[in-house]
Amino acid sequence: MILKNKRSEYLAAAVLMAPFIIIYGVLFVYPTIKMVQISFTDAPLIGDGKFNGIDNFVRLWKDRLFATSIWDTFYFVILSVIPSAVLGLIIALGVNRLKGWVQSVVLACFFLPYILPVSVVFRIWSWMFDKDFGIAQYPISLFTGGQHISIFRTIPLFMPAVASVTVWWLVGFNVLLFIAGLRNISTEIYEAASLDGAGRWTKFSQITWPLIWPVTVLVLTIQLILQLKIFDQVYLFANGGRTDATIVMVQYIYKQAFQSNHGGLGAAASLCLFLIIIIFSVLQFQLLRTRDSK
Amino acid sequence: MIKGMLKLALAATALLTISAVSVAQAKDTIVWWDFLGGGDGVRMKALIDEFNKEHADSVEIQATTLDWGTPFYTKVQTSTAVGQGPDIMTYHESRIPLGISTGSLSVITPDEMKASGIQASDFEPANWKKAQDDKGNQYAIPLDIHSIILYYNKTLLKNAGLLGDDGKPKGLDGVANWDAALAKLTANGVVGLSVPTADGATMWRIFYTLLNQQDGVFLNKDGKFLDGDNLDKATTAITEMNKWVKSGWTPAQTEYPASIALFTSGKAAFHINGVWEVPTMVDLQKKGQLFDWGAIQIPTLYAHPATWADSHSFAIPNRVGNLVDPAKRKLVLDTIHWFNVHSLSWAGGGHIPAYKPVRDSEDFKNLKPNSDYAGLAATAVFDPVSTLAGVASPVYDAAGNYIMPAMNGDMAPADAATQMRDDLQGQVK
Repeated sequence: MILKNKRSEYLAAAVLMAPFIIIYGVLFVYPTIKMVQISFTDAPLIGDGKFNGIDNFVRLWKDRLFATSIWDTFYFVILSVIPSAVLGLIIALGVNRLKGWVQSVVLACFFLPYILPVSVVFRIWSWMFDKDFGIAQYPISLFTGGQHISIFRTIPLFMPAVASVTVWWLVGFNVLLFIAGLRNISTEIYEAASLDGAGRWTKFSQITWPLIWPVTVLVLTIQLILQLKIFDQVYLFANGGRTDATIVMVQYIYKQAFQSNHGGLGAAASLCLFLIIIIFSVLQFQLLRTRDSK
Repeated sequence: MIKGMLKLALAATALLTISAVSVAQAKDTIVWWDFLGGGDGVRMKALIDEFNKEHADSVEIQATTLDWGTPFYTKVQTSTAVGQGPDIMTYHESRIPLGISTGSLSVITPDEMKASGIQASDFEPANWKKAQDDKGNQYAIPLDIHSIILYYNKTLLKNAGLLGDDGKPKGLDGVANWDAALAKLTANGVVGLSVPTADGATMWRIFYTLLNQQDGVFLNKDGKFLDGDNLDKATTAITEMNKWVKSGWTPAQTEYPASIALFTSGKAAFHINGVWEVPTMVDLQKKGQLFDWGAIQIPTLYAHPATWADSHSFAIPNRVGNLVDPAKRKLVLDTIHWFNVHSLSWAGGGHIPAYKPVRDSEDFKNLKPNSDYAGLAATAVFDPVSTLAGVASPVYDAAGNYIMPAMNGDMAPADAATQMRDDLQGQVK
């Protein structure tokens, strides 16, 4: 009787897990295996290709454009990940001091850009920065002596500008996570610290910062993975311009696989990106966690 | 009682189904995909409605509009590979080489075309041949020729003494005359020419026009880009484009919409852009918000007239394992012919009808400004035949990467030409 019960329990478990396992297998495991397989062939975008060993990887190694794309991706990550976490924390600390409906309104203001689709974000900023008619050209001309500057067509300004737009766009989500973290810190700790005569800075550095650290690790990891996969904004802002000078990895994959019909090469580049993301996110997570346990 | 009701309901349903099926069978459907948005989309939809009304009891086009450019062609490629997709689709002629290489297009035989009244002699030879492979197989039927043209502000030109008695600009041919005109027009806060200088696609169209006016060959028969003295001709073209910016006749780094706004607000005397912006001007003028304007073929700066052009054409997808059957193909080709015969209203979008009988008709001659620049069709030059060329292709990208910075003064013209050649040559398998 007990045995029978156990068996039916296993069956129930299998039935309940099956949908997830099947979907996970079909939509993730199988495509991943297939991608690895294709990366060793000369396949076009659609259909099979001939096995060509590590030719694709050799070609990537020699391709200056691929090297540019890796460099640009990391440059973008540096410009966006830490600033958006720091800014998110600062805004969260500020918003957390507010009370009642004022807090809700201010929080909504910071969160609003996050719900916009990337195409809208692109339109807003490309019009604001437009070289001839953009409103941002007024403050810019104060620094340049009346000269208008095309921000997104000036290569050294491109990545910082797109990163700033991205931080503006996505910081709301970080703010939300930080506020959740801040609310988890019991007010009693602060009260006790006040009784002991702790100042504002001491409270932040000795209480808030250590207790919010796990949330910071989460924010940094989410942002790192997200920004390593950067594509939309860079593609939209560079479109029609010097795309090769500011190319990022996913854009390189898109260019090879979809535009030039080199599925094999695209898969090889995807595999490289996949490995980079795994290595860096695991590395970062471990590194930050060990600091936490000290 | 309930049983009786149920029987009745079932019988009624069955009857309805049968009648619905028989109606559907009596009427053929054509599944249609296009990439036409904006004003083009509105015009094509009106034409499709007209077609459906005229064939109310025989054929119905079921049209879907998809995203222009790479997304459209990727979708066509992926769906045809698994036997899905439309019966008919629009296709850029410049993109046909890539379509052939991916096996997305189906050959249209001479007999099929003859049966539907489609004949090569009704089209410009260059336009017709652009839809063929190197063996002469036909893959598409052109609908229009679209190109870049020179828009002009009549008042500003008249004040500068550059307007002829016929209301068209005069004395623009030849580099010296053209440059002098731009210099003269650049005064009192007005610039001579506005161009989307931040847009690689426009760079390509102007560059290819100037290259071909010098008899330059972008890609030769041996698969070499800018071979021999063609590199010098390319440099000449880019140097000329750079001169417009350097001399202050053309604002640098101007985005596409801003370049149009410069012209329509009277801040630029000339504007070079695609024929597809004609409706923008027509609509503004209708609202009384635009000055007296016109449009002509791009002036001949070098040896002889030539203008970059592409063509919206119709093609039948090669749906693997689920080919469009012969009867449907006949219907599709009849439809294509119908659209060509009715392409006058399509010309309202600025396009030049590919079908000569329409282009030669009185109605088209009365359509202004289209008929003023329609002459460019005879000397139109189409994109190089290569899987690397055509809309949203590596060649277009290269124009953004090299010609655009060179025109705006961020790169030397000779370097731009050389780097563009090496980049594209490196992408040849």
